[in-house]
Parts: sequence; structure tokens; C-alpha cells
Amino acid sequence: MHAELQSEGLTVVTVALDIEPAHAHPWIDAAAPTHPSLIDTQHVTGELFGFINIPMAVWIDESGMIVRNAEAAAVLRSPLRDLEIPDGLPERMTRMLTEVKAIRDDSEDYRAAIVDWVRNGADSPYALTPDEVIARSRPRGAEEAEAAACFELGRYLRATVGEEAAVPWWRRAHQLDPGNWTYKRQAWTLVTTPQDATENDLIQGPNDVYAGNWLDDVVAAGGGANYYPAPQL
Amino acid sequence: MIVTDDRRDHVSAEEFGAATGWDPKPEGLCRGEVCVPAPGSLRADGTVDVAVAASRLGMPVIHDDEHAVTAVGPGSTTGHTLSSAVAPDPELIDRNGEPFQLSSLRGRKVLLVAWASY
Repeated sequence: MHAELQSEGLTVVTVALDIEPAHAHPWIDAAAPTHPSLIDTQHVTGELFGFINIPMAVWIDESGMIVRNAEAAAVLRSPLRDLEIPDGLPERMTRMLTEVKAIRDDSEDYRAAIVDWVRNGADSPYALTPDEVIARSRPRGAEEAEAAACFELGRYLRATVGEEAAVPWWRRAHQLDPGNWTYKRQAWTLVTTPQDATENDLIQGPNDVYAGNWLDDVVAAGGGANYYPAPQL
Repeated sequence: MIVTDDRRDHVSAEEFGAATGWDPKPEGLCRGEVCVPAPGSLRADGTVDVAVAASRLGMPVIHDDEHAVTAVGPGSTTGHTLSSAVAPDPELIDRNGEPFQLSSLRGRKVLLVAWASY
């Protein structure tokens, strides 16, 4: 989209919510992006903008105002949605792929909305007022706010003390805000990825460190259809 | 924001603003045009009483006794993640570790997309 719309005034900025920059580097290098490609090692954009899963996006206008709050931000239909699950897979993998296939696909509409905003600015029906942006942003109560503090404390202790010091605080963050998938996926992958692996584990199965795992938590949340906050287009 | 116990009583206004998005000013703690009255937050020497400021903004304060460190969570004046539509401007890094500010793109529309390796 950056290449398609940059001449019309849009800059796409990608930001990786990865506490280890080295985990994001191979993906960035493979994509060879021509847009600003950033790394958020502290998940601060999650706290500030409301990213609770990936991919999600916000729209910022020329004056620095958010005109669309954080929403699921796929702009291409994932081939996983149309995957025919092969017979003979391990039962858990079959269940996982079933939930992945159930994840909502709003990519066509979301992409069209972006194009409309780029071309029509504040006149686009998809560009929201400040009050609408605030009201549509994710509700944040005491538990979500405390979860953010716990996740940040864990991140700091992991960096300064070690992995074990982070675990109690990340467990607490998961308990307080189970709907925040970046807290969970970040933590899970660090304990389920084999040490010699070249990529982070995306399966994030049951483990001895955290109570949850990707499949069981998705099912507990109502299944793949509830995995992302759907764009309110 | 993270504050170790040895620094808890003398955080600069600039550091507090950068870490929380709320800038200590004489009229209160401000984010964009939104200001929250916060008596006692800004000391005469220009430093911030983190506990008072956090209390005024409804921010949770979490303490790890073993490691003598405090985390201050986000506040909300709206009950939502966003208290203002003014885009926050955290300092992020690019692929080479160089700092990058979103505010450097003023004058252009920005689609900020979060992703991750996991």
C-alpha cells in the first residue's frame, strides 16, 4: 500500500512489537521495505495506541491527529483462511488450523477504507472525529491499566535481571487482561521456541511456564471469530 | 514507566512526559489540549512526584520489592485507551537501531501498522 499510495500523501509505517530486535530483523530484511520499518522493544505503542494483537493499525492525519483508532488491519486475505486442512495432522494442529480459518477477514473492506481516506481526507466517511476516535478506542479499566504496568515491569526485569524475573509479572498481566494477545503471544513464544530455532514459534502450545497457550486461549475467548476487534467500517 | 527506587523521588518532568505522554505543566498534567489538575505533582525544583502524579491520573503503581523497582501503568481520563486523539509520539527505533519519531512525518497521512515476529 505504501508504494501504491505514497504519491497521494500516505506513508505506511510498520512497527514490530518485539522485545528482542533480532527477532524482527530477518522478517524486515526479507521484506526489504521502502517505508519506515520500526521496532518497539517496549510494546509502548500497544499501551499508547491500543494495539492488543497483530496486525492492527491506526490512521494519523497530516496534523498528527488520530482519525481512526486501533483495529484489525489486514489488507490482504490470508491464504490460511482458505486452507483445506489435510487429513492426518495431529489433532491439536487440526483444531488450531480450524480456529485460524475462522478468524474474520475484513481485509477487502479495510483496504478500500484506507484508499478512500487517503483520497478524501476528512471528507472520507472512514475518518473519525476526535470524540469518535476516543469513544471507539478500547475500554481501559483498572485491570487493563494494571496489566500494562505488570507487562512493562516484566519486560524491564527480563532485560535487567533475566527471564525468570519477568514470568510472575507476565503471568499477572495475562490474568488481568486476557484479551491482550500481544502480552500473551510475546511471552509464550519466548518459552516455546527451541533455543536453536531461527524463527519464533507460532504454535505457542501448552508449556510449563504460563497457564495459557494459543489454541486453548482462543477457544476460551469464543474461537477464531473473536480473535481480533473487527473494524467498525 | 519504570522507576527504580533510588530515582523514585526525582524524576524529571521531561522523563515523566516522555514515558507517560502526560506533560507536567503549571496548569496540571497535559496531553494535547487535555489537562488534568494535579496539585503536588510538579515540585518547585521541576521534578515530578511520581506517586502523586500517578494518583491524579488514576495510574496503577506496581512495585517489585525484590528488585526495588516500580512500574507505573497508563492512566485514562475517558475510560478508554485514548484520552486524546492527538497521536502519541514515542521514540522508536528503525532496523539499524536509529531513533525515529512519528512526528517527523507531519504533513503526510500515516498508516501505523503493528506486527510482530510471533
